[in-house]
Amino acid sequence: MFKSILDKSRRLVGVGSMAAALAAAAPVMAQDKEPIVFGGSIPLSGVFAFAGVHLHAGLTDYTTWINSEGGINGHPVKYVMEDTGYEVDRSVAAFKKITGSNKVPVYYGDSTGFMKTIASELNSRGTTLMSGASFATALTDNEQYPYQFIPGPNYSQMFGIILEYIATQGKDGDMPTVAFVYSDTEFGKDPIENGKAKAAEMGIKVVEEIVTKPGSVDVSAEILKLRRVRPDFVVFHGYVLSPINEFMVQMRQMGLDTQFMGTFWSSDKLIINKMGADADGYMGVMPYNYYDSAESGPMLDALRATAEKSDPDAGYRPTGYMQGWFNAMVWTEVIKRTMDAGKELTAENMADSLASIENWDTGGIIGVPVTVQDMSFPVGRIWRVNAKEARYEPVSDWIHLD
Amino acid sequence: MRIGDAKQSYEADEAIWKSSTQKVWFAVLLLVLAVFPFMADAYLLYLGCMVGIAVISTTGLNILTGFTGLISLGQAGFMGVGGYTVAWLSANSALPFPVTLLLAGLLAAAVGILVGLPSLRVKGLYLAIATLAASVFLHFIFAEWESVTGGMGGLSLEPAHLFGLSFQNDFEMYFIIVPLAVLMVFGATNIFRTRTGRAFIAIRDRDISAEILGINLLRYKLMSFALSSFYAGVAGGLFAYFYRVVTPESFPLSMSIFYLAAVIVGGMGNLLGGILGAAFMTLIPEALKLLTAALTPFYPNAPIFMSPMLEIIFGVLIVGFLIFEPHGLAEIWHRIRRFFSLWPFKN
Repeated sequence: MFKSILDKSRRLVGVGSMAAALAAAAPVMAQDKEPIVFGGSIPLSGVFAFAGVHLHAGLTDYTTWINSEGGINGHPVKYVMEDTGYEVDRSVAAFKKITGSNKVPVYYGDSTGFMKTIASELNSRGTTLMSGASFATALTDNEQYPYQFIPGPNYSQMFGIILEYIATQGKDGDMPTVAFVYSDTEFGKDPIENGKAKAAEMGIKVVEEIVTKPGSVDVSAEILKLRRVRPDFVVFHGYVLSPINEFMVQMRQMGLDTQFMGTFWSSDKLIINKMGADADGYMGVMPYNYYDSAESGPMLDALRATAEKSDPDAGYRPTGYMQGWFNAMVWTEVIKRTMDAGKELTAENMADSLASIENWDTGGIIGVPVTVQDMSFPVGRIWRVNAKEARYEPVSDWIHLD
Repeated sequence: MRIGDAKQSYEADEAIWKSSTQKVWFAVLLLVLAVFPFMADAYLLYLGCMVGIAVISTTGLNILTGFTGLISLGQAGFMGVGGYTVAWLSANSALPFPVTLLLAGLLAAAVGILVGLPSLRVKGLYLAIATLAASVFLHFIFAEWESVTGGMGGLSLEPAHLFGLSFQNDFEMYFIIVPLAVLMVFGATNIFRTRTGRAFIAIRDRDISAEILGINLLRYKLMSFALSSFYAGVAGGLFAYFYRVVTPESFPLSMSIFYLAAVIVGGMGNLLGGILGAAFMTLIPEALKLLTAALTPFYPNAPIFMSPMLEIIFGVLIVGFLIFEPHGLAEIWHRIRRFFSLWPFKN
C-alpha cells in the first residue's frame, strides 16, 4: 500500500517536474540575464510615511508583476530601497548606499528637496534617471534637471488642468472667480505664480490668495476674507488634509456655494474618511484612475489583480500606490525603448527614450494615450467626491495640456 | 607600560596632549582619517563628510551650551546664514572657498551676536525660546527675501574651488570638510586653555560669581554666541558646498534639536563628547538600518514594520543615555581609557 502510494507520488513528481521545467524555461532564461535594479529612497517613516508605505507597495507589486511577465527584455527586475524618514540627508545616504552597491538605471526620490539636492550628482554620474514623489514644477527645467522627470503633470500643470475645468463652469457667459489657498512651503508656493498667469490668460479672475501654515486648524480670519470675495471656486494646494476640511465646513456653514478643489496629494480618500458627508462635492485633479473607479484596462486590471494577490485584506489602494506603480511602468518603458534601440542604459539615452514617448497606451492607468512634454505627462482629470459611495467619480474628460 | 600621569608644572597640566601615548594615538587617528577616503565606498565617504559637518556644528553649540551654559535652539538658523552666504557669494563672486567659508562664519557670528543680546537678561528655557524665535525669524528671511535667497526654491551652487581646483564630489569635499573639522576642534580645544574659555566655564557654573570675579558678562556671553555661530556658519557653508543647493527647508528647526541632542548625548562641556555625539546621532540611524537589512531576506515586509520601529529604538537609545549615562558618551570613553591606562594593574 505504502509502496504504491510512493510509486504514484514519484510518477506525479516526475510529470510535475517536466511540466514545471517547461513552464519555468522562460523565467530560468531570464534569470541568466543581469537583473535591472529599481532603486528607491522611500519614506516609510516620518511625516510622509502615510504615502510612503503605499508608494513602496506599488513599486513592490509592480516588480512582482513585471517579473512574472518575464522581466524587462528577459532581465529580471530587483527593487532595492531604504527608508529615509523623509529627511534629505538620509535620502542622499540611501542613494549613495544603493547606487554604490548596485548598478541602478532608475531611482525613486522621496521629496523635491532630495531630488534638487541630488541633481548635481545625478548630472555628473550620468547613469541614473530619477522620478519620484515630487510633482515640483522646478524639476521640469531640463537645463538644471535633465535626468529627472515627473510621473504625471507637475503642480503648475495640475493648476492648468483645474483652471481648464473651471473655465467650462461659467454661467451666462461669465467666467467663474477663483481663490488660491496654499501652504507656506516650497510645495505650497510651487504653482501659484504660473497658476495666476494661466488664470489671467484664460480670463479667470483670482479674487483672493491665502497663505497658511500646512496643517493649520484655526483659519477663521482667512475664511472671513473668502466670505467677503465669495469665490466660485477655491483651489487648495500644499496640504494633505488640514486646513481644507476647516475651510470647507466653515464656508458651507456660512451659506457660501463655493466649490472646492485640490491637487494630487490632497485628492485621496483621506478627505472622505476624515470628513465623511462633509467631503461631498470636493474635487481633485488626478492623473491616474482611482483604484476603485469604474474604469478598466489591461494594466489597471493587472494592477488590481496583483494588489489583491499581495494583500487580499487591504481593500482600496491609495493614489500613492497608483503613483508608485506608474513610476515603475514608465521606468520599464524607458528601459525597454533604450534597450530596443541598442543603446546603453545611460541617463542621457534613457532621457531621450522618455522624451520619445508619444501617445503611449498605459493600459488604463491613465485613461487616454499620453505624450511626454518637458519630462512630464501633462494630463489629468477632475474627479468629485461622492460621499455616499465614499469614492471619487470623474466629472470631466481627460484634459491634456499643450 | 604607562601606569601614572604625574604633572610637574602648570604648562604640563594645560597641555593638549598629556602624554606621548596620546600623541601617538592622535597621529594614528590622523592617519586613519587621511587613508579613509581611499578605502571607503561612496556611502561611507558620504557619511564621513556628514559626520565632519556635524562635528563642526556640534562643537560650536557645545561652546555655547556645554561650556557657557547658554541654551540655543538657533543653530540651524546660524547654519542657514552660513549656507546662504556661501551660496550667494558662489553665484555673485569668484571668491575661493576659504574666503567664502570665512565670510560665512563671520556673518553668522554677527547674527549670533544680535541673537545673543537677550542672553544678558534671560537664561535657561527663556533663552531657548528667544533663540527659537530668532531661528523662525531667520527662516522667514530665507523664504521671503527672494532677490538674495531665491525664496522657497533656494539657490544652487557651483562646486567649491581654490587655485583652479574644483571640489566636485564627496571624495574631493572630504579633503575640505575633515581637515577643517580637525582644525576647528583643535581651535576649540585651545580656547579652553585661555582666559576666554575659562570665563565661559565660570559663567556656566555661576554667572553672578563670575561677574564678581571680574568677568564681563556682556562681552563673554556675546563672544560665546559669536564663536558658536561662527562654527555653525562654517558648517552651514560646508553643507551648502556639499549638497550644492540650499533652500529654507535645508535648515529646519529639527536640525537645531538634532545638534542639541548631539551635545547632550555626547556629553555637555566636553569637546570629545561633541564629536562622539555628532557621530552617534549621524551614524546610529544608518547602523540601525542594518537590522532591517538582516531581517528582509526572511521577512520581505520588514522595511515597513522596522522603519518606524527604528525611530523608536533611536529615541529609546537617547533616553537611555540621559538616564544611565548623564555625562554622555564622553564619560564612557573616559572609563574605557581609564581601564586600559591601568591595565593589567587595575586589580
